[in-house]
Amino acid sequence: MAERSVIPFGPQHPVLPEPVHLDLVCEDETVVEAVPSIGFVHRGLEKLVEQKDFKQYVYIAERVCGICSFGHGMGYCQAVEHVMNIEVPPRANYLRTIWMEMSRVHSHLLWLGLLADALGFESLFMQSWRLREKILDQFDEMTGGRVIFSVNCIGGVLKDLSDEQLKTLLKVIDEIEAELKPILRTFLQDYTVASRLRGLGVLSPDDAIAQGAVGPMLRASGVSYDARMTGYAAYGDLEMEPIISKDGDSYARCEVRLKELLQSFDLIRQAVAKIPAGPIAVPVKGNPNGEYFNRIEQPRGEAFYYVKGNGTKFLDRFRLRTPTTSNIPPMVSMLKGCQLADVPLLILTIDPCISCTER
Amino acid sequence: MECKNEIRPIDLEQFLPEVIRFRQSGWRMGQICAVRTPGGYELSYTFVKDYDICTLRLSIGEETVVSSITPIYPCAFIQENEMAELFGVRVENLSHDYHHRLYRIERDTPFKEKG
Amino acid sequence: MIQVISVIAYLVGAPLLGGFLDGCDRTVSARMQGRQGPPLLQPFYDLSKLFHKQILAVNSLQLLLNLCYLVLLAIAGAMLFAGADILMCLFILSTADMFLIVAAASDSSPYSSIGANREMIQVMACEPLTLLMAVGFYLTTGSFQVKDIIAQPVSAVVMMPGLLFGFFVIMAVKLRKSPFDCATSHHAHQEIVKGLTTEMSGPTFAIMNIAEYYEIILMLGIVAIFFINATWWSWIVALVLCAVAFFLETLWDNISARLKWMTLFKGCWIVTLLAGGINILVLMLIR
Repeated sequence: MAERSVIPFGPQHPVLPEPVHLDLVCEDETVVEAVPSIGFVHRGLEKLVEQKDFKQYVYIAERVCGICSFGHGMGYCQAVEHVMNIEVPPRANYLRTIWMEMSRVHSHLLWLGLLADALGFESLFMQSWRLREKILDQFDEMTGGRVIFSVNCIGGVLKDLSDEQLKTLLKVIDEIEAELKPILRTFLQDYTVASRLRGLGVLSPDDAIAQGAVGPMLRASGVSYDARMTGYAAYGDLEMEPIISKDGDSYARCEVRLKELLQSFDLIRQAVAKIPAGPIAVPVKGNPNGEYFNRIEQPRGEAFYYVKGNGTKFLDRFRLRTPTTSNIPPMVSMLKGCQLADVPLLILTIDPCISCTER
Repeated sequence: MECKNEIRPIDLEQFLPEVIRFRQSGWRMGQICAVRTPGGYELSYTFVKDYDICTLRLSIGEETVVSSITPIYPCAFIQENEMAELFGVRVENLSHDYHHRLYRIERDTPFKEKG
Repeated sequence: MIQVISVIAYLVGAPLLGGFLDGCDRTVSARMQGRQGPPLLQPFYDLSKLFHKQILAVNSLQLLLNLCYLVLLAIAGAMLFAGADILMCLFILSTADMFLIVAAASDSSPYSSIGANREMIQVMACEPLTLLMAVGFYLTTGSFQVKDIIAQPVSAVVMMPGLLFGFFVIMAVKLRKSPFDCATSHHAHQEIVKGLTTEMSGPTFAIMNIAEYYEIILMLGIVAIFFINATWWSWIVALVLCAVAFFLETLWDNISARLKWMTLFKGCWIVTLLAGGINILVLMLIR
């Protein structure tokens, strides 16, 4: 009987992208059990609804997380707009869609870099992040901010994009797609990368649904679910299909995210081609009174935004259920029986964002 | 596309059987949330199937003990622990009970009162 | 006389040359990744910074064991450069590695214990080929002594190409480069933080780094004796090919991910049996 040792993993660990703590019970190098523990970045942001009125709260919602910032702002605004029966102008919906897809590109490129780094493949990490800089520079040019750029407001968006800016965006997207091809090839075909990722953390479709997996984790197990298909913002006018893979292992999740990158480029091109002229925001009168569950597809998966208003300018409740909250139980179940060397890869395969989870 | 988004009030006695029915029909766990009302809480358990979402709404008093749904949906443990810790909702039968130490906060049940 | 000079040149010059090669490695790697990279002399700045730090060790045994590692490695290299028995040199190299493993195991951190375990597996994976290589030199030149091997009319590589290829793979393990850097690596981005050297800090870590520089020069010295023969220009050819070998190791580091220890073990043994074994078989048959 091998001796068991407990190895502490996180919250401070060079390979961990997020402050999650895992106590790994190991026999030699095989993980027998993993006990997760979070709570290192809890800021109680949901309680601030008592102090910031519903229009100011957009800024708080956006600052729940840096990578998913735009999505949170958009999800919150859409939920409040639904409660107040506000019709957002079409141009604003298209602009939101374009920025959301750009956020998805930047988030997936960040994740690819982190995965390469955890694999020990530094040069791939540097190249992925260098491509990400191009998107961040575009955000900067369009909105004035690179990571947290507050452009959402209740009733629409705060900044417009000129035709010049849209043309530059398309040019940058073409450049990124061209430079992405060798990176894609390396991720999908390199022998050393494949030997680390294939067969790791297999999740069957039934397990994925039973354990509450969302986003690329669910789609890589073969379940066709993408919240963008419900047609919020401008997605109803764009053509897309959820990207799925049948294998359910870490390689499949990597493949799904890479293909979603290419799909995002296509969606941005469609949106720029179809964007109508018009106002970008409508004036908002009155206070929200009612409740609504909104959901959008963040890069990491489906996120729920629950808003409850009581007729005053302060909301009763805002609840954000982020994709990582749902993905942690499948991650813990995948960790059982894996090798120690695979632990950072399994943590990264769910694309964790603990800042979102803990708010 | 058209998809359902309903909120269904339910009693405490019918709660667990309804959750079991959701599980058997292949609905997956969406989210669990609590709202403070005068004298009690409103709990919302959201389930998702294909593109429809259905929320079960439980209105309970402060001292009511709610049974955890982790025996049916094991993945619910994080959200139920959060509900217990931040709001003070009394949940029994949790599969992984963090005993109010999930988020390591100084104040007990900070979301229970205003301020 | 020449032996004494070359031993002293090795003992004094190896840390300097090894540090310079490490700096080149970091700059070339950086350029391959599209970065600017640190200045060429960065390893020396790092060493001087480390010596200025306080020793924070769990026990005092760690420093002593690291010093043993350094001394034994220097002795192994000195034997090679003095033209002595190559088999003895390789045995002392293994003993030095054992001291490093015990140094890492003596820290009570879970990360360094796992690093020590993995280093032991690495030693088991590398030993067979290094021994086969020494046997190959004996079968080719009739002697284990380095000074006889380099005085042959024909370079040893002509009869031992498989063993050179095998040694190239083993060198990647010894130099701690991807895909074989599972015991410790030059970046701390592993699941076991920095593995073997997690708990080593300050002067202890500086001593380990200096020992690594001795090891780089020793490894390149072994590559060189594959090519050196009795002619004077073979020395220049050997130097150039050593530089090429070092560059190729850096290139391999940058184009592969890190493999797990099981794959490392199997890979090294397959290379040993195929490249090394077949070469030895051929050598024995044509004797």
